[in-house]
Amino acid sequence: MKVQTRVRTWPWVAIAFSLVVALALSLVSPRDDVQGELVRIMYLHVPAAWLAYVAFFITFLGSVAYLLTKHLRWDRLAAASAEIGVFFTGLTLVLGMIWGKSTWGIPWTWDARLTLTAIMFFVYLGYLALRRTTDDQVLRASRAAVLGVLGAVQIPLVHFSVVWWRTLHQPPSILRPDGPAIQDPLMMVTLVTGVVAFTVIYASLMVKRIELLHLEEQLAEIERSTERPVAGEAVVVPELGRNP
Amino acid sequence: MTEWGWVAFAYVVGYVSFLLYAGSIAWRSHKLRRAIERAE
Repeated sequence: MKVQTRVRTWPWVAIAFSLVVALALSLVSPRDDVQGELVRIMYLHVPAAWLAYVAFFITFLGSVAYLLTKHLRWDRLAAASAEIGVFFTGLTLVLGMIWGKSTWGIPWTWDARLTLTAIMFFVYLGYLALRRTTDDQVLRASRAAVLGVLGAVQIPLVHFSVVWWRTLHQPPSILRPDGPAIQDPLMMVTLVTGVVAFTVIYASLMVKRIELLHLEEQLAEIERSTERPVAGEAVVVPELGRNP
Repeated sequence: MTEWGWVAFAYVVGYVSFLLYAGSIAWRSHKLRRAIERAE
């Protein structure tokens, strides 16, 4: 059989290009007066956190669209985005721990931003686990969509946690009420380019991840159609006296 | 560890884990295509 979903290579090219651009700019960007060279970790940590927000917001939109239309295409969108979001939230936590250890002297503290981010990570990990509890596509999509909608409450909670509560974590660098905190133009360009590059990476990964979901469904469909009856299962007896 | 050491550590962790994740998507996709072709 000819595989229905065609192989797209442009996402890999876009990902490779974005990674190289982000890395090159983060190396030529100037050192910070306070943090020294450690500021370069920000160019990876902040875009990764941004992607986590974007991914879970798209999961929210996909979940709402599924609940309204009951079309499985929205469920695929939500599922693909949630998996990518979980990866980037995990990466944000790990990079934050490395940055924390090198600047604060400790990798972890139970402040609001870190704790809420960890909770968000585990909630969406639960979302992925929930999807594995049944093979029924409609039931799975409905259950996941409810969690996808409820889980989105955490996005503003995580983002504004550093504004609403006293935290060891610094306030937002770009998305803050009184404007960006970064004054150096090259630092700002590097950070914004990193955010754009990671957004391109997200879009490219989404294309590949949705392609993968299509392939999984295609294989499941083939397996269902070629299933043979087993002992004890009802067997349809062909009508006698009929020409084949 | 020096400041550059921490930076290098963070970038290696970030890039390697990303490549592993992207690679796992490519690998799963490749295996599924093979399985679909075999199933037919």
